[in-house]
Amino acid sequence: MAQFILLVVMGLSLTACKFQYGIGYNKGYQPEQPIPFDHSLHVGKHNIQCQYCHNQVERSTHSNIPSLQSCMNCHLQVKTDSPYITKIREAYDAGQSINWVKVHMLPDHVRFNHSAHLNKGVSCQTCHGEIEKMQVVYQYSDLSMGWCINCHREQSSKAPLNCSTCHY
Amino acid sequence: MQNNHHDHDHEESEEILAQKKAARPDIQRDNKYWANLEQYNNDPEFWKAAEAEFQSSPLRGEKEEGWARREFLKLMGASVAMASAGCIRRPVQKIVPYNKQPEEVVLGVANYYTSAFYDGLEPLSVLVKTKEGRPLKVEGHHEFPLSEGGTSARSQAALLSLYDPERIKGPRKNIFNEKRSNKDTIQIKWDDLDDQIVEQLKKGQVAVLTGSLPSPSTRSIIKEFCQAFGGQHYSWEPLNLSDVSVGQKLSYGEAAIPYYHFDEAKTIVSIDADFLGAWHTPVTNSRQFSKGRKNVDKMSRLITFDSNYSLTGANSDIRFKIKPSQQITVAMGLAYELIVKQGKSSYASNSLVKSTLENFSTAAADLGIDPAVFAEVANNLWDSRGESVVVAGGLPTMNGQQSSLQIAVNFLNAVLGNDGKTIDYKFDWSNSLSASWDGLLALIEKMQAGQVKTLVIHRTNPVYALPDSLGFQEALKKVDVIITTSDRMDEVAQHSHYVAPDNHIMENWGDIESTTGLLSIHQPTLRPLWDTRSFQLSLMTWAYLADRGPKRLLAYESYFDYLKNYWKEEIYPQAGKGKNFETFWQELLQNGYVGSAPQGAGSRSFKTEALNQVKKVAATDGYELVLYPTVQLADGSQSNIAILQELPDPVTKIVWDNYVSCSMATAEKLKCKEGDLVKITVGTRDMTLPLHIQPGLHDSVLAVAVGYGRTHAGSIANGVGQNAYQFANISKDSIQFSGQNVGITKLGKRVQLATTAGHHTMEGRQIVAEATIKDFKKDQAAGLHKHHIWSMWSGHQYNGNKWGLAVDLNSCTGCSACVIACQTENNVPAVGKAYVLQGREMHWIRIDRYYKGDMANAEAVFQPVMCQHCDNAPCETVCPVLATVHSDEGTNDMAYNRCVGTRYCSNNCPYKVRRFNWFNYRKEIPNPVHMSFNPDVTVRIRGVMEKCTFCIQRIRAARNTSKLEGRPLKDGDVKTACQTSCPTDALIFGDMNDPNSRVSKAFAEPRSYGLLEEWGAKPSVRYMTKIRNNDQESASKDGGAHAEA
Repeated sequence: MAQFILLVVMGLSLTACKFQYGIGYNKGYQPEQPIPFDHSLHVGKHNIQCQYCHNQVERSTHSNIPSLQSCMNCHLQVKTDSPYITKIREAYDAGQSINWVKVHMLPDHVRFNHSAHLNKGVSCQTCHGEIEKMQVVYQYSDLSMGWCINCHREQSSKAPLNCSTCHY
Repeated sequence: MQNNHHDHDHEESEEILAQKKAARPDIQRDNKYWANLEQYNNDPEFWKAAEAEFQSSPLRGEKEEGWARREFLKLMGASVAMASAGCIRRPVQKIVPYNKQPEEVVLGVANYYTSAFYDGLEPLSVLVKTKEGRPLKVEGHHEFPLSEGGTSARSQAALLSLYDPERIKGPRKNIFNEKRSNKDTIQIKWDDLDDQIVEQLKKGQVAVLTGSLPSPSTRSIIKEFCQAFGGQHYSWEPLNLSDVSVGQKLSYGEAAIPYYHFDEAKTIVSIDADFLGAWHTPVTNSRQFSKGRKNVDKMSRLITFDSNYSLTGANSDIRFKIKPSQQITVAMGLAYELIVKQGKSSYASNSLVKSTLENFSTAAADLGIDPAVFAEVANNLWDSRGESVVVAGGLPTMNGQQSSLQIAVNFLNAVLGNDGKTIDYKFDWSNSLSASWDGLLALIEKMQAGQVKTLVIHRTNPVYALPDSLGFQEALKKVDVIITTSDRMDEVAQHSHYVAPDNHIMENWGDIESTTGLLSIHQPTLRPLWDTRSFQLSLMTWAYLADRGPKRLLAYESYFDYLKNYWKEEIYPQAGKGKNFETFWQELLQNGYVGSAPQGAGSRSFKTEALNQVKKVAATDGYELVLYPTVQLADGSQSNIAILQELPDPVTKIVWDNYVSCSMATAEKLKCKEGDLVKITVGTRDMTLPLHIQPGLHDSVLAVAVGYGRTHAGSIANGVGQNAYQFANISKDSIQFSGQNVGITKLGKRVQLATTAGHHTMEGRQIVAEATIKDFKKDQAAGLHKHHIWSMWSGHQYNGNKWGLAVDLNSCTGCSACVIACQTENNVPAVGKAYVLQGREMHWIRIDRYYKGDMANAEAVFQPVMCQHCDNAPCETVCPVLATVHSDEGTNDMAYNRCVGTRYCSNNCPYKVRRFNWFNYRKEIPNPVHMSFNPDVTVRIRGVMEKCTFCIQRIRAARNTSKLEGRPLKDGDVKTACQTSCPTDALIFGDMNDPNSRVSKAFAEPRSYGLLEEWGAKPSVRYMTKIRNNDQESASKDGGAHAEA
């Protein structure tokens, strides 16, 4: 019996990375950010468009984290007394930046193009989940290759399935 | 029992193996084209190497050869921050956004800036691709009228000189002892440096020594600086063109460095002028030359008289080997043939001309050329008079008689009526290539007389590139203070009191005057990486602090302000064409240049009395020295770039070394073999170098490349080869590099020269196709052996794009710009000499050079080979892990993260284009070289196979752009890195499914063929036959490369 349990445990631990859905892909990763920027407040309550801040996402492979200037566009007037806004304003005035913690990360050999997906009509929520309800952003999808391929395989998506679509 | 059975089994399998081996079809080898001496001699060793996939055991390497490993570690490699996507929590990464978003920066989208490259040979207008403010790649500037988008290997590599870790990081001061023998340098602040220098400058007697300065605004600053401090400006660099300029002055009364219309010339004769390789302006020349050969029916004929096997000689239709002392005989002999023998041209009645030419009546016999053939060359020239051009120049002609040679050549051009037609003296390179020997010699004289108190040296390296016998270093000791703007502690900096490092050209504003009236401007592409300051601003600062000089020099705070004002005052009035200045300036920055290509000039009258000085050079018995610059290193200023050192010489294919080239007959006479160390002696100087046996060389010639043997260029260049500049013999009366009598002795030791010739051969099968023009006119598919190809397969379906690449062998000159372009685009590492010896070079595109014919008069053909992206790719079927697979666009994809390194694919590739990462070449790369990596291409790690991807990242980028713009991809949207770098437009990339694309049209030409096509791999790369415009005609229609019927 003990041997059997050992086998099961070993089997699980050996295959955990590869075959167990969701494990090892950082799904649900929700790091603490230097400033607790609340997406549910900005997007959910105030209905600010994603592209207002992530303004290069339609043109670029990357979705940019907004510059401090973008924050200050509103926060020169809005909620100026908040300690977090003060932190941003001080960094902005000093010509410095904020070190945000990266939530979504692909390995170096994977190329993902935001603009291509957006222009195809894939919404942000498809991959990033209900951002408008997230107080603290977490990784919604597992961002594994199988997860990518699931969509690319759908006839309706007309997406290419070449290796070199993502790997080069 | 079990054991016995096993043995039996083993025997049987060996038997079967032997049977299988015997049943294999014979490989149709063809030695008509040969890669190296071993193949020429049918050496079994060569065939053994050709059959084996890897030249060395995979196990050989890291452990046993610690030195070799150390060697590549100091080269370009990089750390790969591979994030583990496994069970372990990944490392936390930070995102640091901009404080204020720069308007022009979109993350991941490239910006292009007009920039320039200048290394003494050619002022080249280029574009620099930057991402997030980081220069990543040099691209050709397609609108620029001269180079028209062409680049050179050296300009492509300029990116790595920007990121060279051995650049100095700020100003330095040398603490000299009285003899100036110690070399202790300390850091110094710019302010302190300025104060100390200004005090010194105020003492007067200032000299400024620079290389050629194509920048008009910089010349103006120097002029005003010299006014301020009573100084004088001298201009010199080793590969200067004073021979051409002096020759023009003696022949026509006015100095000029004319522009040659190689595109309009029908017959081109070059006497040792390597105009496609490392003479002046090779990119412009290659571009124009190739234009005259695109239409095969009317292609020009290139005839060379070559004392070294130059790149131009390798591209010639008819090549004659000569030695330096015969150069004048060639030019005057041709003139004799036309004027005296055939009585042609108006000079036939001129008695002075006739009497001078009489000395050359035996020219053909002196040269050892069949008189009928020699007369044919003369007739060719005469038949295309007004549309021909004769050129001579470069280090191989610097034999003390270069002025006479130039006069002879000018005379020949005057006889042929080329002057003012194919030779455009109004469109003059003199301003941009102004360096001269006179300048240097005058300066040395002044220094020796103690008349120079302060010497400023900028962008030239006389301590390295002058022979010690000239006494420049001794003269330097008589100068109180020496200031240099070197970017590293190079040979000059070792002798300087202050090093005030200049910005890299990509960090600097600037302007360039290429030829008269054609000006370009270049913008900085990034902020200076280190605490450096532009040379121009240094001069301006010193003048300002001393409060001396014209108002204009003192009025501006930055070089940019000076530059803009200079253009407003000096250039805008002529070039502005009625626009207001701001509009003009903005347009200028956008286009990068003003002015246009040359339009022709009237002819001048040749001063026949100049012919008086043209004497026949007495024949010598011994060996004659030929010094020549190479395509990869030229004058040696960029030799600290590993990928340039590892770029195979276009002709010899040797890397990481210089050597003595001699003919086979000479080697046999000396009882020497390839790689034997020899001592060569010129006068009192001697040097030990390995011997290289070069086909097609004159038996009396020993050729050595300059640009090697640096001592203080950096850890990559130092100690590579020997400094052949030391052989130069320079005095006021004669400048002698080549033609000197040279002794040679065998030393009895042998070293291995690292050559790539013979690497990656296709088992010696014939893959290059060539035809003469006469054959071509009879049959456009001449030189191709047609097969009927059948397949059991229906093949792949390609419904969208199907990418293909056409390579025109008739345009390719072998200049190797594509090799370096590919390396910088695709993050391909250099591996070092030890690994090149083992056949482990990583180039994704290689240029095979084949010789044809006998050893003494071998012709050369170049063939670029990259992954052929076969439809039925042999590599794909053997990969056990599906790491290399076919895409629906016809590309053969490589998924690095799947590759486990079995190397089966490479073994099964008939074209030998796959490269294996034996080590983590990129792992321990010094800061900031990693900044040069293209972020769009994965950096590969050890154990991974890689190869040409057809620049898939560029295909993706172009497709994305077209989608964002809501239009289909059009022909020309996707250009591969090799294609954009090519100065001759020999590479055409595009969609084979589009019948109107350039590549489809190229594929439809009768000259088109695929490599080893009869095997049915169906490559997506197709070649076009090389046509040689000589008078030969083949009797039968056999042989040739193989093509589909």
